[in-house]
Amino acid sequence: MTDTQVLATAQQLGTRALSWLHTCYQGGWGRLSDNTIIDLAEPNDVYKPLCEAAMASSLVLRDGVAGPQDARAARDMLDGAWEQLREGDMLYERQLRHVTVTDPLETYAHFARVGYRHAALEELLESISRLRAVHAVEIQGSRQLAVANARRVIGLSHRPDWAELAARTWLGALPEPWTIAWSIAYQVTHTVFHLTDWGARPADLPAPMRDYLRAWLPVWLDIWMEIGQWDLVGELLIVDACIGEPALGSSGWEALAAVQREDGLVPRDAEPIEEEPESAIRAHEHTAVVAVVAATVTLSRALNGTDAAAE
Amino acid sequence: MPFAETPLRDEYAAAVERVAGRTLDALRGGGGAAALAAPDTPVPRTLLAAVRVLGADLFAPQLLTGAEPDGPTAALLSEARRAFPSPAPASPEAALAIAWQDWAAEQVLARTPYRDAAPAPTPVSTPVSTPVSVSVPAPLPGPAELGWQAWSVRMAQLSVLTLPGLDGPVHDAARANVLDLSRGTARAMLRRDFTTAVRLARWLAWADTEDRPPHLEVEPILDRIRLVGIGAVRTRLELAVAERLSEGGPR
Repeated sequence: MTDTQVLATAQQLGTRALSWLHTCYQGGWGRLSDNTIIDLAEPNDVYKPLCEAAMASSLVLRDGVAGPQDARAARDMLDGAWEQLREGDMLYERQLRHVTVTDPLETYAHFARVGYRHAALEELLESISRLRAVHAVEIQGSRQLAVANARRVIGLSHRPDWAELAARTWLGALPEPWTIAWSIAYQVTHTVFHLTDWGARPADLPAPMRDYLRAWLPVWLDIWMEIGQWDLVGELLIVDACIGEPALGSSGWEALAAVQREDGLVPRDAEPIEEEPESAIRAHEHTAVVAVVAATVTLSRALNGTDAAAE
Repeated sequence: MPFAETPLRDEYAAAVERVAGRTLDALRGGGGAAALAAPDTPVPRTLLAAVRVLGADLFAPQLLTGAEPDGPTAALLSEARRAFPSPAPASPEAALAIAWQDWAAEQVLARTPYRDAAPAPTPVSTPVSTPVSVSVPAPLPGPAELGWQAWSVRMAQLSVLTLPGLDGPVHDAARANVLDLSRGTARAMLRRDFTTAVRLARWLAWADTEDRPPHLEVEPILDRIRLVGIGAVRTRLELAVAERLSEGGPR
């Protein structure tokens, strides 16, 4: 059981990070420019952060453990992002034009899970998921899982072989834990996020992977805390909340709380924070998203402990 | 005066490397005694200091092949322990590590005619009547008290205790906490602290011989450390011991 001190720290960290994100978006950050076209020359510029903030907001609403103010902020960010995406039309047009890209599908899942629906896009996604071509696209194992989970969340009829998908990831091989590298660690965290649908289905994580993570998460947390990789530390805390009984103690939470700025910004790493506000937002928005998700899933698991897969 | 001390320290360090090299040669050569000193000549003080530092690991070639510790090396170690009492510890933790390293040396010497007459002042020791009447130092605090990180680092400092024939409270703690030893090893590997990693790998290989399988495969770790090319001969000696334990030495 997660101890109450951890829960209190998580709650404060998440609330402040969410408030910082909300303030950034209210201040005008994250607007897709009027001439944004469906080909998205620079998808990482505004589109990706917008979708990530929507993802965090959707989990805040899904898990229902946030206070009313946080829930309002999450709803507000989802409304704003949905508006930016022209109520899903932009996703629809992009997916219609590019059959094998997966970002419209993955983005739409975050909205669909909390009731923002687009019928034409869903019909299109159903049709596309019947194409052999779409399933044959050569992508990493953890990315395959992202796509499979998005289809599951939206409720599309395609049924993947989850065990096979899980086995095809780095984590699925239960590799020598001392070979992990920074970029691989992100593949591991995402494998867990998607297999468990961000903590909603902890029992869907194959038992050997769960035992492996319980053994090695403390080591990985330790080495990335030592060099101040706060973004990755946050992702490991999400993983800890997704695997059932947590294996990590309070040190990760305390470290993140200690580096969080008064206004809620959580630095992504140990480098100095950019003074110019927009640069700071660009550099650290992902870590705020991570902090919000880590807090939400941790609180939800501790307070509800329900397993959607078992219902 | 640092500039007077440094060359002396360098000289001692070089002597440790030489003695480790001789021991390593003996281990690779099939377990004979390391030829450390010419007979009937005065033993240089630097050699004695090096012998004192390596302690029970001087007998790794014999102990790992099931042979008895050899007389000349035992005589030398006994003389070194008389010439150099336990070094002044920098902290209570260091005192405990030294006490256990000395315990290992005393245990091995007790199997030879050169069992220590000289007192090895062990600061935190409680006399326990054992068949070899070697005093047993206080137990190490466990991972629950120290955290697995600090505990595993301290176990690494006691890698000499993994030699065959030694057993005691530290070994019991190792048996009970193989996961923490495994975590400490993975952590040291990731931090590229190969000296700590190889010392903990000795414990993992030892645990395997005790039917406490580690949570890590030891051979790929030893392979990796060998290929990365650790510099110090003393660390290469630790690697060779770990390899021998991993192959399953005599118990």
